[in-house]
Amino acid sequence: MNRDEIYELAAGYALGTLDLEDRERFEVLLNARDPEAVTALREFQSTMTDLATEGSVTPSPGVKAALMARIDAEGLARDAVVRTLETKRPERARWPVWSMVLTGAMAAGIAAIAVGLAVSSAYDRRLAQLQHEAAAIKEELNRQQAIVTLLQDPATRFVSLGALEPAAGASARMVWHKTAGGLLVVQGMPPTPAGKAYELWAIPPGGSPIPAGVFTVDAKGTASLRVSPVAAGTEVETFAVTLEPASGVPAPTGAMYLAGKL
Amino acid sequence: MPAAGPLPDSPSALIARIAQRDREAFSRFYDAFAGLALGLIRRILRDPAAAEEVLQEVFWQVWQEAERYDPKRGSPEAWLVMRAKTRAIDKLRAIRRREKTFVAPVDESVTRSDEAPGENPGVAAEARGLVRSALNALPEAQRRVVELAFFDGLTQSEIARKLGEPLGTIKTRARLGLERLRAVMRREGQGAR
Repeated sequence: MNRDEIYELAAGYALGTLDLEDRERFEVLLNARDPEAVTALREFQSTMTDLATEGSVTPSPGVKAALMARIDAEGLARDAVVRTLETKRPERARWPVWSMVLTGAMAAGIAAIAVGLAVSSAYDRRLAQLQHEAAAIKEELNRQQAIVTLLQDPATRFVSLGALEPAAGASARMVWHKTAGGLLVVQGMPPTPAGKAYELWAIPPGGSPIPAGVFTVDAKGTASLRVSPVAAGTEVETFAVTLEPASGVPAPTGAMYLAGKL
Repeated sequence: MPAAGPLPDSPSALIARIAQRDREAFSRFYDAFAGLALGLIRRILRDPAAAEEVLQEVFWQVWQEAERYDPKRGSPEAWLVMRAKTRAIDKLRAIRRREKTFVAPVDESVTRSDEAPGENPGVAAEARGLVRSALNALPEAQRRVVELAFFDGLTQSEIARKLGEPLGTIKTRARLGLERLRAVMRREGQGAR
């Protein structure tokens, strides 16, 4: 690849306009730390950043206040889940712990609501948060047209799965539509042990967990899983992830890593 | 000018701390770059309320995904700018698609000169003049490609179709346009000091 071609790819990359094939070609160069590609990208991104500084605008104080409140609420929710499980679990996670998960999820919701009430325009903020969740997930899926369609459906729900003790620091979100299925995106999970896989469960209210797919994570602990819809007429109340044999199992047997309630 | 080394408050250091869920680091990163991001978003979205909504989305994404920041793919500022641009264009497209709201053509949004409430008048005016001057210094064909790419979010293939030009021509114009833009902005930036 000659200099002009590298610079053309770098320009398109900095502008964010490369088609998928060209973007992948350029990222190969970046991953190999090709000096010309790195230099070209740095130069063009610097120009783009300068271009973006035109008309710097001071945001309303409410934007930062809402963000910080949201961060605090997230932290309280996570702590509530962990605390509930730590205080109520008598021994290593066994299957009946599902009831504790539901309690934890309820505590998380209560904590989030308590903080939200302390913030002005809490209702508007909550609506904005849901829109933000949708937007954040959409970027990860923008090359999957079927998922985009799913996101645009008003019946689609967004669920945050809290990290339990074996997966401290992990996070996960689920896009869920009861007839179209959904997508699970996880981050910060521990490496998948040899011969094992993470298994997602869809849990109806008061019912037995339904296997919803197995997955492994990459070196950064991230993964995504397309989830098929459950049988017609079955409502799902909770999603959870456990560590299981690589082929998956029909009913959960291992420790629980993530859980969240619709 | 942000520090280049790994100082505690450098953008890179702040991103690393945000990845560790450091609330204070997030607050400082927001204070440092929210104005820049909102300035860009307002250039794409002319509705101030929608722009602040997008700003909040962008910084929430920073909080959630800081650990995915990869220095090989650019500076934290460039990372933020790209996210702000992508989010703003997503919002713009959603507005066009769902509400059929009239949105000004790209040329108008790029060159309009009305003051926005809350701008830092001195810094904004200087930067705006510099950038407009730099954009206007580009040959029309190159300027059109840069604007369609950066402010309207079209891919190179989409630009080629829109302008009825070969893809290779668009790629070359994007490169030449950015190279020239960089040279002009550097020259005028030095001249302004």
